[in-house]
Amino acid sequence: MYSIIVVPPPTTEDERDRSQIRLAPGERLTFGRSAPDNGLHIAHDGVSRRAGEITAQGAFWVLSNFSRAQTYVVENPEGAGEHVKVAPGRLDAPIPFEFSRIVLPAAGDLLPLQVWAPRHDYLSGSGGLDGATTAPAFSVDRTKRYFAVLAALCEPRLRGTPHAPLPTVDQVADRLRPTWPAASRTSVQWNIDYLAVKLRLKPGPESADTGPRLNGKKESLVSLALRFDLVREDDLGVLAGPPGRVTP
Amino acid sequence: MTEPYAVAVPKGYRVGVWEVREPLATGAFGSVYAARRTGESTELPRTAALKFLPTGTATPRRLTHLRELIEREIELYRRLKHPRLVRMYETLTVDDPDRPELDGATVLVLERAKGSLSALLAATPRPEAGPALLAQICEGLAQLHGAGWVHGDLKPANVLLMDDGSVRLADFNMAAELEGTHAYTPAFSTPDYTPPELLWTEIGERGRRIRPSADVWAFGVLAHLVLTDSFPLPGATPAARRDAAATYARGTDELRLSPELPDDWRRIISACLTRTHQDRVSGETLLRRVEAAAGAGHRAFRLPRLRPARHLRRTSLAAITTAAATALAALAYGISVWADGARGSGGSGSGASANVSAAAYGASELRTDRGIPPAYRLLIVETAHDCDQKDVTPVLIAAMLKVESDFDPDLADPANDEYGIARWTPRVLRWWMNEDGTPGETVPQPPFPPAESIPAMGRYLCWIAPRLHEDLPGDRRVLIATAYRRSYRTVNAAGGVPPDVRAYADRIAHYLKEYTPPDRNPP
Repeated sequence: MYSIIVVPPPTTEDERDRSQIRLAPGERLTFGRSAPDNGLHIAHDGVSRRAGEITAQGAFWVLSNFSRAQTYVVENPEGAGEHVKVAPGRLDAPIPFEFSRIVLPAAGDLLPLQVWAPRHDYLSGSGGLDGATTAPAFSVDRTKRYFAVLAALCEPRLRGTPHAPLPTVDQVADRLRPTWPAASRTSVQWNIDYLAVKLRLKPGPESADTGPRLNGKKESLVSLALRFDLVREDDLGVLAGPPGRVTP
Repeated sequence: MTEPYAVAVPKGYRVGVWEVREPLATGAFGSVYAARRTGESTELPRTAALKFLPTGTATPRRLTHLRELIEREIELYRRLKHPRLVRMYETLTVDDPDRPELDGATVLVLERAKGSLSALLAATPRPEAGPALLAQICEGLAQLHGAGWVHGDLKPANVLLMDDGSVRLADFNMAAELEGTHAYTPAFSTPDYTPPELLWTEIGERGRRIRPSADVWAFGVLAHLVLTDSFPLPGATPAARRDAAATYARGTDELRLSPELPDDWRRIISACLTRTHQDRVSGETLLRRVEAAAGAGHRAFRLPRLRPARHLRRTSLAAITTAAATALAALAYGISVWADGARGSGGSGSGASANVSAAAYGASELRTDRGIPPAYRLLIVETAHDCDQKDVTPVLIAAMLKVESDFDPDLADPANDEYGIARWTPRVLRWWMNEDGTPGETVPQPPFPPAESIPAMGRYLCWIAPRLHEDLPGDRRVLIATAYRRSYRTVNAAGGVPPDVRAYADRIAHYLKEYTPPDRNPP
């Protein structure tokens, strides 16, 4: 029932093992240098003992800045520079982004702390907002990169045969590069992982496994997306340029 | 109703024998229009509700899930026929190449309702009939769950109110058949009625897992809304209420129900709105408690067990309404708001013609010229049809009523403690009085009008039939009748008709022959 996911900054040793912290509405997570006082311990001398607090509020979250002097900046990585500044001492500042990066200034380093709000709702088709309308369980933002990645994954099956092979991560990155020059294997993979969270994909039996399971994750995403019409033929417009480079 | 209709159908448009009239509602997946029948038909009613679902070829590959939802709904309608579930008469496909937006649309022809619970609540918050309506909604749920299905989207807009004041559940797009303890439903839901465990739940490729307890939660929300005109969880918006549900389920907040709720309903709603699905009350227990709470004036019996949709297939609407009204006249029970309408439409004006139809009701299965009172034919025939045992037939029930009481609804035999047209002994009737098979809360008191006695008799016979040993000699129907008198164990132990009821058995056999239409008698 969580609505907010906090991804701690990478540490040198366990780059791969970045455990996510899930918060349900109303739950709080404090972060800072002091281990006993904080839910999230950030071992960096440049960070305050009690640096701040993240509180999940329904589908969004609020940030409190406990430091005396430092302003925190919360960026929207896909927002072309869009950001929110949270001044020192400011409590419960609402953050409107679906993905955010809190940048903690720490003695010359900038530590990125990612916060995802995958439960953001978007208007779907004809449905109203009155709570009495039967609504799909998925709510996707068609302007986000994850949607472009999903569309690229679904493209061969939407255009071709229902059993067309799925594009590889590299092929997806190539397909998206005209509209997203920075697309890379890593960024595409990040979006696939995020989609699995966003669409609440049931983890497979061997979910702890990473590498080779990726194919299963893509397969599940595509079948879910096509089954519930999250991506339709007319959505393929987000993939500017002609198809063809995807076909193996 | 300002939103555009998902499927726009012009007034006067013809589909099959139906002529489209005014729009009734539009949902997330299709649009519903009133319709009237244009041709002659003995099977279809005069009016119906047509649900148009946009499955046309103009929208290739876009509506995978919609097709699946429709198949689900049709499947349920085909397989489940219960008095608290809306009936489907037929399905049609629009064949009209000149109108590409309609061509290929699937049309479900459904029972026409008077309105929905959401419309009633909008017009009359906290309706006086609330508890009685809830009891019937709960019955509908129990029937669905009993048949192994989960509704998945119970809310006021999906509860329909019929002309006779009874309630039917509708809209089975989300319904799913149970596989073990849970079912898979498409990942759609209505936020205010979604239990906390399904908020942001994990979703597999088959959809989300749902249990009958999800309907129980939705019923709790709905009951609170009907009785207090407010949602049980606080918040001005659905999003706020959803968060309140999540917070409550995590145990950080308590459930604070409206102080307006009477104690018994407070307990019922609390039992529905538990934090986890494991703690939630089961559908059966819920029904018992809801019926007890709906209590006063509700007595043991609810609205009569008539099955309009099935009747409609066989006779005209007017005949049914009148026949129903006649059969029910003895029941001094009605939901105040709606009963008047029902009586009005079944008024005496159409009496003559209706009696003719009632007298011929079920003529193919039950002779019309052997003195079976027309007023009971409908009850007898429909009661027999409610039972899936082949030996429990209209003829058997009629023969038994003849022998038991000579069709005397007022029979009272205090010496033997037997009353009414079916000679029920009160302490035995208690076990058969409720349609869902639950015993009555207390031993019922006579009089037992035919609308109660006959269906209860049918339920008992239907229970007896499979319990009699296969190898007993003689006519199964006679054996069933003697088991009604002496219990199935006695008949099994006696290896046939027990000696002390031989005379009774002979009379039953006589009337079985008497009432069977000529072409139906075994060679």
